Amino acid sequence: MKPISSSRPVLLVLSLVALVSLPFWAPDEYKIHLATLIAAYWVLIGGLNLAVGYTGLLSIGHVGLFAIGAYAFAILAGTHDVHPYVALAAAGGIGGLCGLLLGLPSLRLPGFYFAMATMAFGMIVGELSLAFDGLTGGGAGISVPAFPAPFDKPATVFWLVLSLAAIVTVMTWNVARLMFGRSLVALRDSEVAAAAVGIPFYRTKLAVYSFSGVTAGVGGAVFASLQTYITPETFVFDLGMFFFICIIIGGRGSILGPLLGTIALTALPEVAAPLAKLGQFFYGIVLLLVVLLVPEGIGSVFHLFRKQPAKTKHVVKPELELLSTALRKGAAR
Amino acid sequence: MKSRAEAVVLGLLASAVLAVSPQIALAQKPPVKIAWLSSLTGPLSSAAIAENQGVQLAVEEINKVGGIDGRRIELLTRDTAGDPTKAVNFANQLVHSEKVDFVIGPVNSGEALATVPIVSRAGIPNLVIGTVDSLIDEKKYPRTFRVINTNEQWITTANAYAMDTLKRKKVAIIGDTSGYGASSAKAAAALLEKAGIKPVYSVLIDPNKTSLTDEVTKAREAGADVIMPWSAATGLLARLLNARGDMQWDVPVVGHPAIMGLPIKALLNKPEYWNNTFAAGYASTTFDAAGKLPEATTRLMNIARPKSDGQIDFTFWWVALGYDTVKIIEHAVKKAGSTDPAAIQKALETTSGLRGSYADYTWTPTDHNGFPDSAMVMNKANTFRDGSFNRAPR
Amino acid sequence: MFAVLMTGVAMGCLYAAAGLAYNVMYSTSKVLSVTTGHIFMLSGVFGAYFMTILGLPAWLAFAGAVAVGMTFGMVTELVAVRRILARSDEHLWLLSTLALGTIVAQSVALWWGTEPRPFPRLFAQDSASGVADQKYWLPIVAVLVLMAALECFYRKTLFGKVFLAVAEDPFAARARGIATSRVRAASYAIAGAMGGVAGFAAGQLTFANFALGHMLTLSGFIAVAVGGLGSNIGALVGGISLGLLTAITSYYFGGEFQQTIAVGLLMVFLLLKPEGLFGNQKVRHV
Repeated sequence: MKPISSSRPVLLVLSLVALVSLPFWAPDEYKIHLATLIAAYWVLIGGLNLAVGYTGLLSIGHVGLFAIGAYAFAILAGTHDVHPYVALAAAGGIGGLCGLLLGLPSLRLPGFYFAMATMAFGMIVGELSLAFDGLTGGGAGISVPAFPAPFDKPATVFWLVLSLAAIVTVMTWNVARLMFGRSLVALRDSEVAAAAVGIPFYRTKLAVYSFSGVTAGVGGAVFASLQTYITPETFVFDLGMFFFICIIIGGRGSILGPLLGTIALTALPEVAAPLAKLGQFFYGIVLLLVVLLVPEGIGSVFHLFRKQPAKTKHVVKPELELLSTALRKGAAR
Repeated sequence: MKSRAEAVVLGLLASAVLAVSPQIALAQKPPVKIAWLSSLTGPLSSAAIAENQGVQLAVEEINKVGGIDGRRIELLTRDTAGDPTKAVNFANQLVHSEKVDFVIGPVNSGEALATVPIVSRAGIPNLVIGTVDSLIDEKKYPRTFRVINTNEQWITTANAYAMDTLKRKKVAIIGDTSGYGASSAKAAAALLEKAGIKPVYSVLIDPNKTSLTDEVTKAREAGADVIMPWSAATGLLARLLNARGDMQWDVPVVGHPAIMGLPIKALLNKPEYWNNTFAAGYASTTFDAAGKLPEATTRLMNIARPKSDGQIDFTFWWVALGYDTVKIIEHAVKKAGSTDPAAIQKALETTSGLRGSYADYTWTPTDHNGFPDSAMVMNKANTFRDGSFNRAPR
Repeated sequence: MFAVLMTGVAMGCLYAAAGLAYNVMYSTSKVLSVTTGHIFMLSGVFGAYFMTILGLPAWLAFAGAVAVGMTFGMVTELVAVRRILARSDEHLWLLSTLALGTIVAQSVALWWGTEPRPFPRLFAQDSASGVADQKYWLPIVAVLVLMAALECFYRKTLFGKVFLAVAEDPFAARARGIATSRVRAASYAIAGAMGGVAGFAAGQLTFANFALGHMLTLSGFIAVAVGGLGSNIGALVGGISLGLLTAITSYYFGGEFQQTIAVGLLMVFLLLKPEGLFGNQKVRHV
């Protein structure tokens, strides 16, 4: 486990303060928009992290659940004038339900089969959003209302999404810390051994996957509100790959790693324009390099830095006298 | 004043300062920042690349003579690659971070549907070059003006030709599943119904579908006597013509201008598959009976030709459109005397008959669509020459 | 109606070919590579490139396309599979092959463009030939030839028998002195060559399109899931069923539900018969 150092809580508090005060020190509205986008992605990726990073469920088509959340919010809050907060909750619920329905048949399948099933699911959602054009606007897309006051300004929307992201982070951190989190890692690394120890692996996987569906639904809803207009072209397979890659390069089994991965991969194309042009190609290369060279993810590199060398020269030498006394005493019994 | 010498020195200094200060003021005049959202890669890239050429031409021409009222144009081009998420991000960045004075584009209607509200909310004037009708709304988007024709103008022109000139009544509408294709097919069906005609067959096809035999067969079985495609996807349109030709069905095809574009030629199975095909076009890029083009078009072509290796082998009205958008900005800034958005809005709303290479524009406070109906014309496909076409037979 | 059936069978044969490639690669490495579909895509794109841009004659372009496929198969093994298998982590090969597939698809998109570009005629034939058109017959013939060749290879040649040995029990094979890693590399090369042949043959049907890779990875997978992993007959049956199902439903209900139906088929099969029609019930030693 991570060694506890005294600087960690301080660092945490400092970054929290910096995050919350971002609207005040950001140079312009666009940077606030970008930060809100990252937070919206993190709402999905935080939940997905439990499924992919901890449980090893390779859901490459999670963008389908993201799209469902987005369209649910757009249709409920836009076309049917449902109150945005209710629509937001509903989007999460629908996302969770679809995650459950997708997981029921698919989670019994071995790894590759499951990945293909999720990929196919993503394609189906795209197909259906085009087909049911009376509902979703089809190829033309649908406009998405913003949240009502006070959440209609860039700064306040940022705080709203940030709090949602924080809730997801706290939930996943709790899960990861407890026995449940350990059981997830056990499932990922060796399903048979985990089952042998009594972990109900199908039920566990289903629970985690449904949770990741809820976060995907909520994330999709806030993303849609941020974009103000969504079309089926927004939710292509490439976006699903992006989520997946954020987690893998961040490191499986960690929360901070994928968070940093998300921030890096979203912000990087903004900073480096040529990378923006290469887009998916760049993401593919990063994924390949990480898988081949640093399979534990870049987050693991932080652990290297945190490992502190022993303060004193610690020599392992047996105390022969004590040992012989103990042996004699033990033999005497 | 202590002495005459000092007075003279002071006087000289003052005049020197006065002489230099206009230059200082000029050098300090802020540039006119124009954002150009273009899908230079991805679908519709051929249109975007040509429009980009026109935009660059106009910017160069204006900057060469010192800019607009002495203010240089600073053009910020962003490639949206046909991705609405990228377009939204760029729009936000350009409007809030770069604080541009104008936004031209995006080219893609799917992207425009997402960015128009964003730019409008920030109060920045937006010159729209997508044709989907809902992009313009004088009340919702008060500073958004359209330069290109509307979808309705294209569809009405084509419908009139199919029904009145070719005397057809059983229409098959073919659209694609993109944002543009879906809206246009719907609009086309609605406009036909207004004229009292119900389409016998209507379908939306994935632009990457490799064979349209199924759909064309079904149209034939439904008894169609004219096919009207409303898609800007070149590949799809070529495959439509191939399916019609391979089936040896001699039905006229009347629809979107892209079906006349030169790239179609290379994709046809046989060159005669391009016969009996007509599309909505423009007076500015149509040869008259003597084989001549309007003067403004010829002038622009002569400037553009050397920059494209002496050949105009792409649809030319795209270039004219791009060129005109910048010229419209120049006109608006000159008329308003500044780049203040409210003044620009007023200037454009009171512009009438502004001469351009693509068309002559008129905007009013109640109509932000600037393209005149009179500039719409029907063209015949397979007559491509110098980026322009012949008129369809009447 | 016949045209619809022909399209279904021809596309189905292409899916079956992808299934065959999966089988060959899986047999020696127990890896299901996401790059399977991309082999066919590369062959189609390069074939079109050689013929239309470089102007090479069809047989030379064919040889070139097969070479490209073979090279890509070997690259997959070298880059995405070899190092990963040396580690114990089970699913990293999914990620590495996914990454490699993405890289290849995106490079082709950047170079060749995102629009499907037509694949030229291989034999002079009027485009209005209807059902007898070569674009249907070429993939069907190609896949049948490939299947026959594979059977011949496995039964009649020594190298084929070595393959079967490695597929059945790699430890025993190694104990007998067979260089399993070399056999694995060879099997990927063979799968790549097969992809080259089938991708080139199907070019006129699919056009040279960068997005074909993902589509075939999924469809080929459905073919082996339905037919049974490891069975070539199964891949053929699975592929043709999928092809026919999608062609017929797309004709009668419109193309809007193609993926939904294909995956519906997959799900039904996996729920009822997870090992597929012709597969073996797997007993795994723990």
